[in-house]
Amino acid sequence: MHIPDGLMDPFLVGVGWVIAIVFVGIAIYTANKRLDERQIPVMGVLAAAVFVAQMLNFPVLGGTSGHFVGAALIAIILGPWTAMIVMLTILLVQGLVFGDGGITALGLNILNMAIVGSFVGWSVFRGLRSQNLEIAVFMASWLSIFLGAALCATELSLSYTVSGGTYGIVGTIAFPAMLGYHALIGIGEGIISTGTYVFISRVSPEVLKMPKLALFSKEEVSLQ
Amino acid sequence: MKVPYLKAILAVLLILAVGLVLFFAFSSELADGLEKTMERGNVEEEEPFFRAPLDYGSDYFTAFLAGLVGLVLTLLLTIGLGMSVRRRNERT
Repeated sequence: MHIPDGLMDPFLVGVGWVIAIVFVGIAIYTANKRLDERQIPVMGVLAAAVFVAQMLNFPVLGGTSGHFVGAALIAIILGPWTAMIVMLTILLVQGLVFGDGGITALGLNILNMAIVGSFVGWSVFRGLRSQNLEIAVFMASWLSIFLGAALCATELSLSYTVSGGTYGIVGTIAFPAMLGYHALIGIGEGIISTGTYVFISRVSPEVLKMPKLALFSKEEVSLQ
Repeated sequence: MKVPYLKAILAVLLILAVGLVLFFAFSSELADGLEKTMERGNVEEEEPFFRAPLDYGSDYFTAFLAGLVGLVLTLLLTIGLGMSVRRRNERT
């Protein structure tokens, strides 16, 4: 779902940068002095593991492939703001070192994957976890991809409208295609997240019990 | 760490190592969701604005090296960022 250079209208690209800078600023402000030291090694390991996992494409129907994004899983383990910082470093390395995702589109990629992925993943998991932990992880992961794709389709269709067809893709193509493919890719995301979550809960449950910085900065919660 | 967990970790690593080859064989050529959407919208991917120094490699060995470089970079960058904003543990 990494947007390349030159796909979106420059206005949308600018909006993406503004939103990304505001949220990354809040994430760093929230984490500053309050991030639990014990989370730091876990952040590093998750960033490295998710980077490698993102390189591996799995096939879905219709000659398409997808790859794990991981924002929801990281948010469930570390909390939404910390997850945004981890996803930011992954997207920076991908864009600056490996040319995955355009450098101008980095703001939109941070929005679609790091911000939406972390928020949706965290909120859905918190909402559903009292019912069933595994289903909560699966739904949080699936929705993080599906809603990220919906936002990406919105950006494509707005770009098309704003630029009169020079940029983006018309909504009647962008929405069904993005939503259709990512409904399937989200299932892969859900399976990988749930498997990883169950594995961690058996091997190293203390990682899941660490206090996390919640969405509203006063709150500090310990989920399990 | 308990022995069953070590076995489980080894099993996961083995599945991944074998799976990697299958992943490359079956899906490295396939477009991802956004690329496929661009194909359907008849949009060509433009030349990147900024040329990155590395890519993900074209075979098992170069992809493995790319993965290793990315793994180390993301690990160091994330830990560096984390260290710069951490809260010192009260007990130490």
